Amino acid sequence: MSSQRQASSAAQVPHLSPAELSYLYTSLALPQNPIRPDGRSPTQFRPLSAESNILPGTNGSARIGFADGTQAIVGVKAEVERTVLISDTLDVDQDAETVEGAEESASAATGGHGSWVQMSIEIPGFRDDDALPVFLAEMLRESLVGSVGGNEDNGERHMAGGLKGRLVINKRWHWRLYIDVLLLSQPLSYPLPLLSLTTHLALLSTKLPKLKSTGEEDPFFDDDWAAAEYLYPRSSTINSNPSQQVRPPVTLLVISVGENVIFDPSREEIAVADAVLAISFTRNSDSDTGTDEPLKLLLTQRGIANSETENGNGPDSAAAAEEETPGVWRPRRGGIKRSVLAEMMKTALKKGGVGEEVLAGLEGVEVA
Amino acid sequence: MKSLRREFSSNPEAANVASKVFVRSTKSGKVQKIVRELYLRQDIPCSSKLCSHCPSIAPADANGNITPFVLSDRPAGTKAFPRGHYLVPDTNALLNGMDLCEHTGAFYDVIILQTVLEELRNQSLPLYNRLIALIKTDEKRFYLFFNEFRLETHVRREPDESINDRNDRAVRAVAKWYDEHLKATVKKGKKEKTIPAIVVITDDKENLRKAKEENVTALSLASYVDGLEDSAKLLDMISEAREARDAKGSVRGELFYPEYYSMSKLQTGLRAGNLHQGIFNVSPYNYQEGSVNVPAFDKSLLILGRDNSNRAISGDTVVVEVLPKDQWKSPSTKIMDEEAVTRNENADAEDTEAVVTDRERQALQEEVKLAHGKNSEGKPQPTARVVGVIKRNWRQYVGHVDSTSTGSLAASGRRLQTVFVLPMDKKVPKIRLRTRQAGDLVGERILVTIDAWDRDSRYPSGHFIRSLGQLETKEAETEALLLEHDVQYKPFSKAILDCLPAEGHDWKVPASKEDKGWKGRRDLRDLLICSIDPPGCQDIDDALHARPLPNGNFEVGVHIADVSHFVKPNNPMDVEASVRGSTVYLVDKRIDMLPHLLGTDLCSLKPYVERYAFSVIWEVTPDAEIVSSDFTKSVIRSREAFSYERAQLRIDDPSQTDELTQSMRTLLKFSKILRQKRYDAGALNLASPEVRIEADADEVGDPLADVKTKAMLATNSLVEEFMLLANITVASKIYESFSQIALLRRHATPPPQNFEDLINQLSKKRNMRLDVSSSGALANSLDQCVDPKNPFFNTLVRILATRCMTSAEYFCAGAHAESEFRHYGLASPIYTHFTSPIRRYADLLVHRQLASAIGYEGEDGHAKVEGISTRSKLEDICRNINYRHRNAQFAGRASIEYYVGQALKARGEKMAAGGADQGVNEEGYVMRVFENGVVVFVPRFGIEGVVRLEDFMLPGESSSWSVTERRELAAHRSTEFDPEEYTLRVEEKGHEAERNVVVELFQRVQVNVSSVKEEGRGAGKRRVRILITGTTDNTK
Repeated sequence: MSSQRQASSAAQVPHLSPAELSYLYTSLALPQNPIRPDGRSPTQFRPLSAESNILPGTNGSARIGFADGTQAIVGVKAEVERTVLISDTLDVDQDAETVEGAEESASAATGGHGSWVQMSIEIPGFRDDDALPVFLAEMLRESLVGSVGGNEDNGERHMAGGLKGRLVINKRWHWRLYIDVLLLSQPLSYPLPLLSLTTHLALLSTKLPKLKSTGEEDPFFDDDWAAAEYLYPRSSTINSNPSQQVRPPVTLLVISVGENVIFDPSREEIAVADAVLAISFTRNSDSDTGTDEPLKLLLTQRGIANSETENGNGPDSAAAAEEETPGVWRPRRGGIKRSVLAEMMKTALKKGGVGEEVLAGLEGVEVA
Repeated sequence: MKSLRREFSSNPEAANVASKVFVRSTKSGKVQKIVRELYLRQDIPCSSKLCSHCPSIAPADANGNITPFVLSDRPAGTKAFPRGHYLVPDTNALLNGMDLCEHTGAFYDVIILQTVLEELRNQSLPLYNRLIALIKTDEKRFYLFFNEFRLETHVRREPDESINDRNDRAVRAVAKWYDEHLKATVKKGKKEKTIPAIVVITDDKENLRKAKEENVTALSLASYVDGLEDSAKLLDMISEAREARDAKGSVRGELFYPEYYSMSKLQTGLRAGNLHQGIFNVSPYNYQEGSVNVPAFDKSLLILGRDNSNRAISGDTVVVEVLPKDQWKSPSTKIMDEEAVTRNENADAEDTEAVVTDRERQALQEEVKLAHGKNSEGKPQPTARVVGVIKRNWRQYVGHVDSTSTGSLAASGRRLQTVFVLPMDKKVPKIRLRTRQAGDLVGERILVTIDAWDRDSRYPSGHFIRSLGQLETKEAETEALLLEHDVQYKPFSKAILDCLPAEGHDWKVPASKEDKGWKGRRDLRDLLICSIDPPGCQDIDDALHARPLPNGNFEVGVHIADVSHFVKPNNPMDVEASVRGSTVYLVDKRIDMLPHLLGTDLCSLKPYVERYAFSVIWEVTPDAEIVSSDFTKSVIRSREAFSYERAQLRIDDPSQTDELTQSMRTLLKFSKILRQKRYDAGALNLASPEVRIEADADEVGDPLADVKTKAMLATNSLVEEFMLLANITVASKIYESFSQIALLRRHATPPPQNFEDLINQLSKKRNMRLDVSSSGALANSLDQCVDPKNPFFNTLVRILATRCMTSAEYFCAGAHAESEFRHYGLASPIYTHFTSPIRRYADLLVHRQLASAIGYEGEDGHAKVEGISTRSKLEDICRNINYRHRNAQFAGRASIEYYVGQALKARGEKMAAGGADQGVNEEGYVMRVFENGVVVFVPRFGIEGVVRLEDFMLPGESSSWSVTERRELAAHRSTEFDPEEYTLRVEEKGHEAERNVVVELFQRVQVNVSSVKEEGRGAGKRRVRILITGTTDNTK
């Protein structure tokens, strides 16, 4: 029953007739230059308003509003916590799993642990244990704590171990981050990109009190907030290349219609998409050698549960057997073409591509 | 992009909203970002009586009155500011000059900024409290200006501006605003001539410079004071700390002490158990030996030498680190007196000194040798070193200037020189003092305070506060004594006296029983009640009666002055009494807890008049078994006030057969039974070296005749037994009613290791055993410690045993488990203080609790709830009264000691008229044996004193009395100390065979007691000297 309600309120499938859908599909699928209902180019984003540091009581916060009226607020709070070393209490001799667990926890003391970042998403009309908020939160959190890569050798200069590593204070203490995401409006379109962008912006503005103690002492902090340091360090010198700085990941939604790859799809566009993909990426901190890949793909997902698109009907649906009639919308079936998928990735991640543009744009939001 | 955020530029209203952001670390380790919003206002007055504008805008209370303005319309002028001036000190000026602010000669009309006050609180809580007290008094005209809340003077922190710079800017902004504000609003007609200058006092050079740029008058503290009258005296009162800090960066490079650990390192260590926190105590016999009691160890940790004590002063809360085992030592067996060891140091000569002078090092080495040698009593104990100070417990110290440190040019005018001040308290190191009045201060009792103790300074530096008067004068010494023991001796303020009954001495118990005062009171006026007290007692707390009942039993009553009727909770009188905690008895002075009128008249259960009382009445069988007990508020009329002696005489006189005497005999009979019962239950009969001074006014007689050891009469214990019984009965009653907040008194069972030394000594020297397994066992074994040839020996052992115990303390019932309530000394499972409410605050609280427990409503029906209080508040009170109680005892003892010294001096002077001062020959007992001297107790005067090598009279030695002559002798003496046998053999070098004397622990010795003037140093300073002239009954 709950999934029923969820589907009805989240999908927000526009009530378009099969003819309208078919028209939309055709125009979006036009080879080379698709025509979008609002006249945007395929890689153009809808205008958005953003500001950061709007909640004085938090360590960092941001608000982003899309032109369609959806907006979200994200607040980040940090708390000091004692690192519990499980290896102290476990007997590490017999069970292979135990040994593994112990090693893991030991490395957690230096490398950080994913559970130190907690994320909760509140969407109007949903309980906090409903599938959608939990699914979204986990997706955002995973890309956030996963943004490490095996770059311990040269990534050290900025943030060794990524976000997880940044949260380590010393062997016995760490920060715990609470990221609270609040979607202010009804989820008119699929909320993931909005939430991701807002989270990104909030994290950029997040500061942690400055540590005064050194080494393995119990942490002791500067009481001056002005001395607090950014969670994601800012470029201190002008000539340092901003593209080398570690940044929180961004998740974007991409759809394919025919051969075309379309970014920031609107609700209607999602309805007729062949495939919907959520791409999480971040700056590739390995890129200082000047490779052509400034961005790093973290994960791709079939961003949307099948029930939310019109082409998500099961294989045994009656429509599957019917003949395709021109002018009448039929949900597509089958997978996504490899070439289209490659095109999607390329457009998003290439140098000077959409991804970089988005990151640069977010960086530009004045962090007061 | 459009922003919804409030922008200060876009919103005209936003100017009066500001926020303050900071990081707060909580005790539990949480780190929080705190945001406070400030709403700025314009109705905060300038509080100058000159201002014509502010009275109209200042916020009024419900009656339409505004707070009276503080700053004078005719502020004092100086040479530089003839039109008068208001002062605006910054935080550092207050830190360094708080004593100046309190001085009555200068510093009037001062504007204290909220910014400064808050900053001061963070830096020094005691100074903050003193400043608050100043602001509260009217006469100094200190005004607290809430500059952060006033729109015009609120200062927003600029980016990259340090918090200090911001606060300095706030101070300047206020000065500027005041200046402009007063110019604009000064009442017409008074214009121009009377506008006072606004003077910022700051020692920050940068601030002074910026002030000049901004056209704000600013002066450094020293240069401002320099322009005042009497500046020499005032300049001395500026704290040293600042100058020391200034000099730190410069040439003086040598650091004598290790640096303290950082706060976070200390916290980590404490939590991990590597470091320990405790209160630093210095041994009274050896200034280089300290100890810290920490919960982790049974015995306290030793801290030897200045290096290890690392600038801690007795009383500080310190963090210590245990030293490796090879550095463990036994406690010192040597008497070391700072004055003696560091006699000739020059206070000015900084550079040549090392932390441990060679002489000190030598002294320490000898000890180590000893520890490594034959160790019997002294098995090495864990030692530790101080690595951090959590809380300084510095106070003001009474002392005198070491005259040898003043230099030859002492008398020459205002030359600034450094002198040493020797504090009265031997546990406190000498204090370096920079003064311009060294010449005047020599020979005076002075009050100084410690400002700082930096790593590059061997001694703490401090500054002068005031002089108490000439050394040895009664006034100066009495005040010194009160200050040293933190006794509040200021006269009661008007607010307190206003709480007294309006009738004054004419107050009477209402005649009509219909009067509200009689509500809930029983009429006991027909009982034959009498009081028995020391002679001349004015504050009579207690009275007694006994009468036979028809059923063959007896009714016994204890009646206690009903102080709680007159002292209502939380009025100024009650608050003052709770601060004072107890009345302090000095030889010739009494510092009352309650105003005179109550203590010696209205509450005092004087004979022949009706008084309110709180009565405890028992029905007892002829065998003194208690059948029932009853508590009631009452009205009594005491028939007679006896002294102990007179009561004893009357009881002993067979011709007296009146009812009153009979009832006293009954009481005496019962008291004897009660006493026996108590001892059977295991109560201890403890002893303390007490003497009593009967200060008769006769000038002719021998002053020493006034010094009397306390005689125990049967009537003393009569009163004592019934008071104990009343206290115990009341304790059970209030605990029954208030299981959490009953105010009780406990005496913890002392840990057996406290007695280790004494047990060792007794078994070695006298082959006696001390069983400390329980108080009963201890009482029994103490009874066995008798030496037939030495009647005082038993008392001596009791005195020493008492010192091994913990002291009794007040506590709140909820703070301990019921099994911990025990009073060890009295062998009672529960105990409290009920019987002396005139002189002890605890008793007053117990009265209130008991009144609530029995449902007494009082005149206004409020009494029922008066006894009820929150536990945390009670715990605060307990802490204070425990502290005051102890101090009152110390002050009383010190007063007697001083009196004995004076009596000896007076006698000496009398004798000196007829020849040399020969002192008084008395008997003494050896209490402790050190390597270079012994401690002797003289029961006749109740004093104990250190006998140093030179003060042993060897056989065949030509007798020389003067201090200087004797001091020379020390160099010719050698000693043999046997720590296992507790003996000390003193010989004269070269004549070892014939000129020697052996003393041992517990031995009775002949001593000569006299008061001598320390010659060659500390002008006029006297001490009681004890010479050992011979030994007797060497039992070994």
